[in-house]
Amino acid sequence: VQPPEKPLQTEEWNRLRESFQAPEIFEEVMFNSMIRYNSSIDVAKSLLTHMAKSNSDIGYNLLVKYLALCVQQGKTSEICDVYDILKMRFKTLESGAYNLIVRGLSNSDQWRKALTLLEEIKKAMIPSRANYESCIKAACRHQEMTLACELYHEMLTKDLVPTLDILQTFFDYSRGMKDPELQKELFGILLYFRENQIYPHKTLMRSIKLWFESIPGENWRGHLTNITNSGQCPVCSHQLEDSELSEDEYNRLSERIIRDVIHGTDTFRKTSPQEFEAFQTFVENRLPFDIVIDGLNVSHIKPRKLQCENLFEAVNCLAKNNARLLVLGRKHMLVNSSNWKREIMKEMQNKADFFFAENISEDDAFLLYATLRSGKRCKFVTRDFLRDHKACLSDSLTRHLFRKWQRGHQIHIMESLKTSLFVCFFILQPAFSYDIVVQTTGDTWHIPYKDVYEEKYSYRVPRKWLCLHRKY
Amino acid sequence: MQSANMLLKKLVRYSVFPFAVQHGMKKDLFSLSRTLILSHCLKEGSSRSPSEKLDLDAWKEVMKSGSQEVSATASEPKETSTLAAAREILEMWRLAGRLVPENVTEEQLKTFIECPSKSAKKKFLKFLYLKELHKKSEKRKTEERKERRLEMQESASKTEEPKRNPFLCLWTSSMDKIYNWRVAQSMIFGQPLVFDMSYEKDMSDREVANTVRQLVLSESCNRRSVDPFHIHFCNFKDDSLYHKEFIKHYREAWGKLLITVTDQCYTDIFPKNKLIYLTADSPKVMKTFDHDKIYIVGSMVDKSIKTGVSLAQAKRLGLETAALPLEKYLLWSRGAKNLTLDQMMHILLTLKDTGDWKKALEFVPKRKYTGFVNKPVHELKTALNLINALKLRKRQGELRKQFAKNYSKKLTQK
Repeated sequence: VQPPEKPLQTEEWNRLRESFQAPEIFEEVMFNSMIRYNSSIDVAKSLLTHMAKSNSDIGYNLLVKYLALCVQQGKTSEICDVYDILKMRFKTLESGAYNLIVRGLSNSDQWRKALTLLEEIKKAMIPSRANYESCIKAACRHQEMTLACELYHEMLTKDLVPTLDILQTFFDYSRGMKDPELQKELFGILLYFRENQIYPHKTLMRSIKLWFESIPGENWRGHLTNITNSGQCPVCSHQLEDSELSEDEYNRLSERIIRDVIHGTDTFRKTSPQEFEAFQTFVENRLPFDIVIDGLNVSHIKPRKLQCENLFEAVNCLAKNNARLLVLGRKHMLVNSSNWKREIMKEMQNKADFFFAENISEDDAFLLYATLRSGKRCKFVTRDFLRDHKACLSDSLTRHLFRKWQRGHQIHIMESLKTSLFVCFFILQPAFSYDIVVQTTGDTWHIPYKDVYEEKYSYRVPRKWLCLHRKY
Repeated sequence: MQSANMLLKKLVRYSVFPFAVQHGMKKDLFSLSRTLILSHCLKEGSSRSPSEKLDLDAWKEVMKSGSQEVSATASEPKETSTLAAAREILEMWRLAGRLVPENVTEEQLKTFIECPSKSAKKKFLKFLYLKELHKKSEKRKTEERKERRLEMQESASKTEEPKRNPFLCLWTSSMDKIYNWRVAQSMIFGQPLVFDMSYEKDMSDREVANTVRQLVLSESCNRRSVDPFHIHFCNFKDDSLYHKEFIKHYREAWGKLLITVTDQCYTDIFPKNKLIYLTADSPKVMKTFDHDKIYIVGSMVDKSIKTGVSLAQAKRLGLETAALPLEKYLLWSRGAKNLTLDQMMHILLTLKDTGDWKKALEFVPKRKYTGFVNKPVHELKTALNLINALKLRKRQGELRKQFAKNYSKKLTQK
């Protein structure tokens, strides 16, 4: 149904209602379409008046829909009126109505009312992050930065994750202010990015850059740049933090991987205690390795080739410089078959150590264990993104450590497009030697950012950086 | 004047006209609109439209004059404050048109409060709401049936009086006797079938309830079969959640069931080399049904697909495992390969009677597969790919058609 263009009389509404195929839900459908077509609120009012006159009651859901229409058009006085009516009729409101009222009021000059409403919501339930977003934005817009910061901290204590929008508002409205307290807050936000491995998107990055450059008397300069594998910033030639975990972090991660990923709730699900013990003694006797290879994963790189040939090429490729290799596989690889030739397997076993797990065991868990046990220098080779293993870890801090460690230690191996016989068969995409995270030395800031708003893949890290440094 | 006329034209074209055309009251309404135009033209300059006679804020007065909603304030004093608050929130959600049940028991309210997250709360409420809806429609249907039966009886009593009821009664009770006799026979001579009841810790309360429901169904279909299994519930702990749920279903009959319930493990009762654990994760595929083996089925509903739980159990005990040859006989299209317990029961019973895989696998839900394999597999796979490609193209075509439809609708709306 299309809503009428102008207010209607009671008789006209009656006629419309009767001609509608389901008169019981006529009002609801009509309000929905009014919201969709953004009809004038006078039309909605006339419908409400008609309803009030004919059955002297208007349902809660219809009032909320009317409220949504008012919020959509920024009719502040109407929002207040509807709120008064709701308060009179109902003891408590639910979150939908609260969201609308807070949003409506915070966008108007009556934004302080939204704050009192937030207090009211807190009595009944935990406000949503959208509530906080509206209030913080309103406070920022009116240059009440301390109030905004208070709300922001309150939100964090309630375990709500702030939207990037909120953070951007902070940077946008603090531009040009000389307020050391506020500056500390904003640095705090940047450190929040660091701790939670959040990468700002392009527009947020731009806000950050403009804010830095606008700090009076500090002379910050921002440049967009790409940082190469060496980890040196081409603009200010600062060397980025390297990606190694600290001793404590490293121990914590290995402990958690053994506990959560390999054993989990039931050791038998991924391996068996006997097998794991056998693997442990195997690894301990041969430590340390330089590279651990997921044999089965690597053997599928070129689908046209025999699996053992793929593996053979990869091992040859990696076996330079006397690197100590460990290849993990399953027992079925030892059985002579069309894909696994015994002679080639024999030859490979001269170049690398092999461990064959049971056919129904998961070899990835062993891969992680062997790499971690071999120490910080050891890398591993697989095309797997290991997301399922990351998901097994119990807390987010350990998951961040895992991602950081993975970035620094995983070598991706890919089929090279030019399959010339004389060049190396594979492209090795080396692990990152530097850490991709927001970082500072006080006089410089380096902030990795994403090009697009929504980053789909958690394993993909940005290569673009914002370099900020002070000029004296 | 010009602009006013334009406005009027728009008014006529946009508001009244489509309705009039739509509902075939062209003449009536059009005359009405024409009067509107006239009056508007007369009052031109004062810029008052006729409908402004309406007091648009009248509804506010009406709403304000009304007393506070009774339902929201009706909270029993015996309830603690958190419960009352939760009840109020539920009531408001219901008013706001969310999927919330009308009647909530105190127990359900407590579960609701204990839900760890907002989405868990929403899900739980939706579940209750749908349950209530089903119950209501069921009730309505039984009442209708009752009425119809009464009508039938009335009309029947007028004509004649056939005494069929006692015979029917006799028939069902004697059938029960026959069934029970058969199951009793199977308890002495029949092939054992083990349900492993050791997965309670891996399931949520609702999953346990579902498991028990499926077990009840399996038991009944076993009882009715020609050659029943001797059902064993192994690793069964008294006072477990399973036990509670079973008593809910069977009440007094629980003690009289012709099955073996034990807290012992199957490895203690049967020789290990005769046991085969059926699990979808098994690397081994079952070829034939062996009448000398004892099959074990894990009594577990895993909605979150916990891969490898029952395989781990079999590995721990060092048992042989097997999976149904679903891939070999069916062209699988979607869904997980784990089947419900009653489907397993049907399949195993059919295999036991006939040994015919095709007949047995009829009990796999139809939505999960596209057909039976009777050609070489690779040929079928290409056919399937073709079908999928066609489907995709068809869907695209449909989308295009729908878009065109919507687009033309938009045009007509303008």
